[in-house]
Amino acid sequence: MSAAQIRFATLWRREVNRFMKIKKQTLGAPLLETFLYIMVFGAALGSRIKHLHGIDYILFVIPGLIMMAFSTNAFANNSSSILQQKFQGAIQDQLSSPASPLELLLAFSLGGFMRGLMVAVITFCISVILVGLPVDHVLVLIPSLALVGFFFAQLGVLTGVRAEQFDDVSFVQTFVLQPLIFLGGVFYSAALLPQPFETLTRFNPIYYMINLVRYGFVGFSEVSIALSLLALTAATAALFLVNLRLFSHGYKLRA
Amino acid sequence: MPEAALNIEDLAKRYPTGAGKSTLIHCTTGLAQPTGGSIHVFGHDATGNYGEARQAVGLAPQEPNLDWFLTVAETLDYHAGYFGMPKRERAARTVELLETFSLTEKRDERTRTLSGGMKRRLILARAMMHRPRLLILDEPTAGVDVELRLELWHYVQRINQEGTTILLTTHYLEEAEQLCDRIAFINGGQIVGEGTSSELSQRYGVASLEDAYLALVGRKELSRSHAEVVTP
Repeated sequence: MSAAQIRFATLWRREVNRFMKIKKQTLGAPLLETFLYIMVFGAALGSRIKHLHGIDYILFVIPGLIMMAFSTNAFANNSSSILQQKFQGAIQDQLSSPASPLELLLAFSLGGFMRGLMVAVITFCISVILVGLPVDHVLVLIPSLALVGFFFAQLGVLTGVRAEQFDDVSFVQTFVLQPLIFLGGVFYSAALLPQPFETLTRFNPIYYMINLVRYGFVGFSEVSIALSLLALTAATAALFLVNLRLFSHGYKLRA
Repeated sequence: MPEAALNIEDLAKRYPTGAGKSTLIHCTTGLAQPTGGSIHVFGHDATGNYGEARQAVGLAPQEPNLDWFLTVAETLDYHAGYFGMPKRERAARTVELLETFSLTEKRDERTRTLSGGMKRRLILARAMMHRPRLLILDEPTAGVDVELRLELWHYVQRINQEGTTILLTTHYLEEAEQLCDRIAFINGGQIVGEGTSSELSQRYGVASLEDAYLALVGRKELSRSHAEVVTP
C-alpha cells in the first residue's frame, strides 16, 4: 500500500472503530428502534390496513424504514463524530497530518455511510426472514440506497463541522430531519392525504428518496424514478462540493 | 502574524501571552490558515502543497487533545497511519515509544482514564511516532511533576543530538537556557530578539535570560538581582 492509501485507510478505520466501540448505542439501539416500528406498523396497524396500492402494508412500510435507518445513522454518526473530535481537540491530529481535505472528507463520510449501511443490511435481512421482503429492481435499489446514504453522510459532516455544541446537532436531527422523514411518506401514501398536504409532501425531498427505495424493493412508486435519481445525484454532489470547500478552507475546523 | 520569516534550527521561544507563538505553531502545522505570507519547513511549503512539510513536523500541543475513544496503543498506531507509516513499522515503533515513555503497562487503557502526567507522556510519544525532523513542543512541561520534566529534558536532549530539530515554547526560562541553543523573543507577532542565552543577556545589558525577558516586557523592577536581602 502507498502512504496515501495507508493514510486514507487509517482515517476511515478510525471512524468505523469509533462506532464499533459503542455498538450498543450506534448499532443496537437503531436496530431495536426499527424492529419496534416493524412490530407496531406491521403486526398491529398492518392487521387493520392490510393493503396499500395493492401491496401488503408491512411491505409498503419496510422500504421506508430501511431508508430511514440508513439515513439517520449516516447523519448521526458523522455529525457527532466530528463534533466530539472538535470538542476534544482530537481532530487536530488528523488536520495536522499530510491528509488532503478530500481524504479527510471522504473518510468522515464513509464512516457514517458504513454505520448506516450495516443497520440497513441487518434490517433488510431480518425483513426478508420475517415478512419475505422482495427486491424487485436491484439496479434502482443499489444506487438509490447508496445515494441516500451518501447524501445523509454529507449532511452529517456539514452539521458536525458547523456545530458548536451538541444542541446544534440535535436541533437538525429533531426539528428538521425527523419531521421531514415522518412526513415524507414512510408510513403512508401521499395520494391518501387531503389537500394541501398532498401537494406539500411533494416539496419534501425525503418523499422522493422513500419512493426510490420503495420502488427498488416492491416495484411501486408515486414519482418519476429517473427524475428522482437525477435530482438526488445532483443534490448529493452539490452537498459534497460544499463540504469539500469547507474542509479546504478549514471552516470551523482550523483557526 | 503579518509576516514571519523564521529559519528554524534549534530555537526556543519566550514570549508574553498573546505574542503570536500559537499562531506561528498552528500555521506551521496546518491548524490555522495564515492570512498572508509564506511558511517553509526545511524548504517545503507548509501552506499550499503541504504534504512534505507536514510529514516533517511533529506537534505536542499545550492542551491535551487525545481521542477518548482510543486506547494508548491505538493513539500511536492511528497517528502513524495518518502519516502513511506501514503496519509492521507502526507496531515496532509503538512498542519502542511505549517503552521509552513508560506507557507499556497502559497500552490497552482508554486515553480518558489516564492521569495528567500519563496524557502528557502519550502526547509526546504521539508527536514522535512518525519520526519528524522538526518536533514542536508547546509548553511540554507545563503542570508536570519534576520526575517527568527531567525525563523529558533528557529525552529532548537525546533526540536533538540524534538530529531532530526542536522548537520549544516554555514559561520556564531555566528550561530554555538548559535545552536550547538559540532563543527567540516574540512580541506582537514579531521576533524582537534572537540569539543564544548569553547573547540576549548582553543585548539587554543584564546578567541572565530572565532579566533579558523582564527588560523586554518593561518589568525590570521584578528582577531577582534587585531583591534586597532581608536579615532578621
